[in-house]
Amino acid sequence: MTQDNLLSIRNLKVNFRLESGERFEALKGISFDIPKHRTVALVGESGSGKSVTSMAIMQLLPSNNTEVDPASEILFNGKNLLTLTGSELRAMRGKDVAMIFQEPMSSLNPVFTVGDQIAETLMLHAGLGRSAAKKRVVELLTEVGLPDPAKKAGAYPHQLSGGQQQRVMIAMAIACEPKLLIADEPTTALDVTIQKQILELIAKLQKKHGMSVLFITHDLGVVGEFADDVVVMRHGVIRETGTVKQIFDAPKDAYTKALLNCRPHLDRRPMRLAVIDDFLREGGYVEPAERQRGYLPDDEIILDVQGLGKSFESREGLFGKHVFHAVKDVSFKLARGKTLGIVGESGSGKTTVGLTLVRLHEATAGKALFHGKDILSMSPREFQDYKRRIQIIFQNPYASLNPRFTVGQILTEPMMLHDIGTNQHERLQMARELLERVGLPENAMFKYPHEFSGGQRQRIAIARCLTMKPELLICDESVSALDVSVQAQVLNLLQDLQDEYQLSYLFISHDLAVVKHISDQVMVMNKGEVVEQADADDIYLRPKQDYTRRLLSSIPQGWVNEAIVAA
Amino acid sequence: MTATVQTAPGMAAPVSKSLWALGWQRLKRNKVGFISLWVVSVYLLIALGGWFNVVGGNWLNEIAVPYAPPSWVGASGADVMPADAYDASGVESSAPIVTLARQEDPIGKELTEAEKDAGRYKVEEVKKRESLPFGADLRGRDVLQKTLKGTSTSIFVGIFGAVLALLIGTTLGAVSGYFGGKIDDLLTWFYSVFTSVPDMLLLLSFAAVSGRGITTIIMVMALTSWTGTYRLVRAEYLKLKSREYVQAASAIGASHSRRMFVHILPNISHLLLVQFSLMTVALIKYEAILSFLGFGVGVRQVSLGSMLAEAPSELVQGYWWQMLAVTIAMSILVTAFSLLVDALRDALDPKVK
Amino acid sequence: MSAYIIRRILQMIPTLFGVMLLVFTLFTLVGGDPTYILAGKHLTAEVLANLRAQLGLDKTLPEQFMIFVRQVLTLDFGTSWSTQQPVSDIISTRIGPSLTLTGSMMIVDLLIAIPLAAAVAYFRGGLTDRIVTIACTVAMSISALVYIIAGQYFLAYRMEMFPVRGWGDSLLTNLLVYVPLPLLMGLMVSLGPDIRFYRSFFLEEMNHDYVRTARAKGLSEKTVMLKHVLRNAMIPVVTTVMMSLPFLMIGALVLESFFGIPGMGNEVVMAVNKSDFPVIKAVTIYIALATMLFNLLADLVYKLIDPRVQLK
Repeated sequence: MTQDNLLSIRNLKVNFRLESGERFEALKGISFDIPKHRTVALVGESGSGKSVTSMAIMQLLPSNNTEVDPASEILFNGKNLLTLTGSELRAMRGKDVAMIFQEPMSSLNPVFTVGDQIAETLMLHAGLGRSAAKKRVVELLTEVGLPDPAKKAGAYPHQLSGGQQQRVMIAMAIACEPKLLIADEPTTALDVTIQKQILELIAKLQKKHGMSVLFITHDLGVVGEFADDVVVMRHGVIRETGTVKQIFDAPKDAYTKALLNCRPHLDRRPMRLAVIDDFLREGGYVEPAERQRGYLPDDEIILDVQGLGKSFESREGLFGKHVFHAVKDVSFKLARGKTLGIVGESGSGKTTVGLTLVRLHEATAGKALFHGKDILSMSPREFQDYKRRIQIIFQNPYASLNPRFTVGQILTEPMMLHDIGTNQHERLQMARELLERVGLPENAMFKYPHEFSGGQRQRIAIARCLTMKPELLICDESVSALDVSVQAQVLNLLQDLQDEYQLSYLFISHDLAVVKHISDQVMVMNKGEVVEQADADDIYLRPKQDYTRRLLSSIPQGWVNEAIVAA
Repeated sequence: MTATVQTAPGMAAPVSKSLWALGWQRLKRNKVGFISLWVVSVYLLIALGGWFNVVGGNWLNEIAVPYAPPSWVGASGADVMPADAYDASGVESSAPIVTLARQEDPIGKELTEAEKDAGRYKVEEVKKRESLPFGADLRGRDVLQKTLKGTSTSIFVGIFGAVLALLIGTTLGAVSGYFGGKIDDLLTWFYSVFTSVPDMLLLLSFAAVSGRGITTIIMVMALTSWTGTYRLVRAEYLKLKSREYVQAASAIGASHSRRMFVHILPNISHLLLVQFSLMTVALIKYEAILSFLGFGVGVRQVSLGSMLAEAPSELVQGYWWQMLAVTIAMSILVTAFSLLVDALRDALDPKVK
Repeated sequence: MSAYIIRRILQMIPTLFGVMLLVFTLFTLVGGDPTYILAGKHLTAEVLANLRAQLGLDKTLPEQFMIFVRQVLTLDFGTSWSTQQPVSDIISTRIGPSLTLTGSMMIVDLLIAIPLAAAVAYFRGGLTDRIVTIACTVAMSISALVYIIAGQYFLAYRMEMFPVRGWGDSLLTNLLVYVPLPLLMGLMVSLGPDIRFYRSFFLEEMNHDYVRTARAKGLSEKTVMLKHVLRNAMIPVVTTVMMSLPFLMIGALVLESFFGIPGMGNEVVMAVNKSDFPVIKAVTIYIALATMLFNLLADLVYKLIDPRVQLK
């Protein structure tokens, strides 16, 4: 690593002044280099300071509450970016250093055409005239692989899909041939197949233009395939720096090791997933035995869904109606103590399936036999008793707990509604036991949801379901919003609970690796229909449908060499 | 953010704070907001005092000569009308009140009754004062007392009107937004009918058909100003009913009313508080205009608006103190209320944490 | 698009019906018998009966409502009960002065408020921002009546800079002589809230991600503000203004009665005082119609300025 460095960060310290007057140290003096023509991945979980680093390079941090330590340096070609004047800074932004963001939809101005927004950069930095810029825009859009670029240049952001919007953002970023491209979680909001395309596009452009790329991500998996160097961050400090080979083959830092192992892998399925503590404590991590998955012939089927359908109607024209079929003819069986995973990309209808089963949406077709009784055709009064037995955990741990209830209230409410426990004292006692079971301290009872982290909140949501001792738990993207290390903990918890209470799970997720890890059987959905359904190992080893194969090949494989070896 | 301002971090055990408690903490940090809160509290006390006649209860007593100037101005402040221009013992006095001359017949009866009533108070009066702390009005009533009582009336009209409007708007908005469908169509129709007619026209029409008096004004204002709250609450319920915590409540078997009032309502309570404060300010201003146009409080009642109604003719004669008193009282009240609204909005915004 | 417009126009029918019901209920059922006021001193049973027949008040309620419906459909509201003038004449003569005053007031208000709001938002958090915001709050706290009373007394009566009250025949005289003072007073009242309102639109937009993108492109803060933010912030501004247009028709009630401007506001106060039902009915229906039309127009304009909006 003695090549020319394009960007060198030296002892970067950033503090945020909080409203309460306290200071939060976002970056505690980090140093790393971005060599010319190389891709550096900055990996970390939420709160690691990775995005703050990228914003600091672009100087886009809010000036009113940010303090950058005066001794910090961000050297770009030897020049300290932190001491640039306003106009020097503007000349640098978009020209030498360009940036793409996580949410392409909100990052584009909704009222200008995408062509205009790209042209704006060209006219500003490359000094092109309007018509020359227009021509160049079409070339750029062609380069980033937008279909029908001449026409799409006149489109507004909302008329493009998420992947297309991100392509536009990339076209805008590379418009002035920047030397450094900063990509801040550019694929996190996208479906896995689109993610693969965007990653390939960035890699291709990096080579073609000889740019350096700073790739910021929480997912170590996506890094392996195209980064040269990796920087691992946690809590505002750098834990480890090295080439991709070093990081993946011989990680030194315990946290890096943990990150590499926390994520479920497609090729193995340990009894329990590794968690960070496994690596930080002495003795290191010993991989547990493999877990066997799949339905057995004598499994007791508790839920039998037949021909489930859900359509939405919307108005069209003067008297017309437009019918949208979110779910079409979905059938599956779920056995006691087993997990059925439903995977699909956005718009596949997987979430709608879950919601119709707890009747948060009313199904428009089909039956769902729960212990032989159709829960979809029941009267609401009749279904009330079944609510206890079928529970759901949602995706967003920040939205699924009522912010004005204490944890105690959240946990005792379902017991009160279903007459579980004879008095409030007994209920509180049960709530305390459950809190302990899901790994939260007893004093959490009197706290409010906002005092907990995402993972803890998801534990509370799980505990809420457990108060009713359900037989079937629907997990709707329940671990998708969590950091990988927290995700592993929650997955382990779900697994333990299944082993202990013989719970059946309907596990809905877009994440194939997670689904593979936790499911006995997997159902792949696309555009409201079932594509394929089989035992978990079967579907991953021997996919029968093209769509399944495409999904599987889009999963980030970690480091490339490893993937070759595995293949 | 576990440490509070007062307790040193690390010293006290972390105390759990509800969102309200956190909001209160943020409000206390905001100096302007906190001072405003105190000012508003003082006004509320005055209003309460006025309601129970502890404050400004004697405003009807004609204790001074007509248009007695404020004591800090001196008797030469204005050309004072001769004291005997007004028949002090007059049971049959012919109501020579300039400002009320424009009033139409229907209230004539009340007016004479008011005179009689006022006459009764005056019997005990011995000597008229030449000046008062803030001057006197046409009939020698203490402007200070009158302003206190008037402020009290105005605040009560504002607060009760706002409470009523909030009640109507919240109930209809909650039902509309939560249930949707036919009932939503019906209520939205109701809403669009009310918003198709300008507020002021509606206010005047309501006021015209239902006679004068504080109760009428409160009813009239509530009936015309529930629409803003309806729209706000409907939109919030529409949004929150599909929030995951409400769906989770449905999944654990909570009834519709429990979801509506136990789960959703507390989560918009901060918006309702802001809406309530905004509406109170607006209604205090509306009351002034209504009273001024002659659709406001009754003759034997006083409000900031009815006092302002007397101002133009006084001003021409050079008696400016009543108007000044009202302006000061009202401006401080409304400024404090508005600043408090701003502070509340910042403090209770769940986005900042 | 045309399907949308047709459906919206069809939706106006129940709303208009509702407004009619509201007005009718208010004045016919809740309100007292107007004949007592109209009869004045000649209060004999015969006169009353005559009057009732004349006004159609002797008919049953459904019949009276049907007459009202017919009036709305033909837009012919008969004659005023108090002045015997045709209602259409009254409205056509009164609307001019009202629009002269409110129209000019709105234009001046927008011309001042929008640039000021944008400027204040640009310097958000700074001294200018604070001063303007506080000034607005204080200005808002003073009752409109105080401005008018004090303004009329000092500027017109004492300093004789403007006529105390009155109205002329030609538009030019009105604009140059009679409008300025009420306009000034109106602005004192409206500028404060408007600046704060528009400022919030600008601030709201400035928190969006696309502003960060624009900065990351290397655009100057001025371009970010004047191009990216302004264009987005104008969307709510334009819709708010569009929605408020029909209310210009009713005029500035208090200003008109104070400055003796023979406009709709003045007329409405008089009509309400005298329970002049035909006039109030007509004004209400006209304004309700205008409100509905302008709401539709606002949506169409919305579609024009915001590419995201789809009219379905």
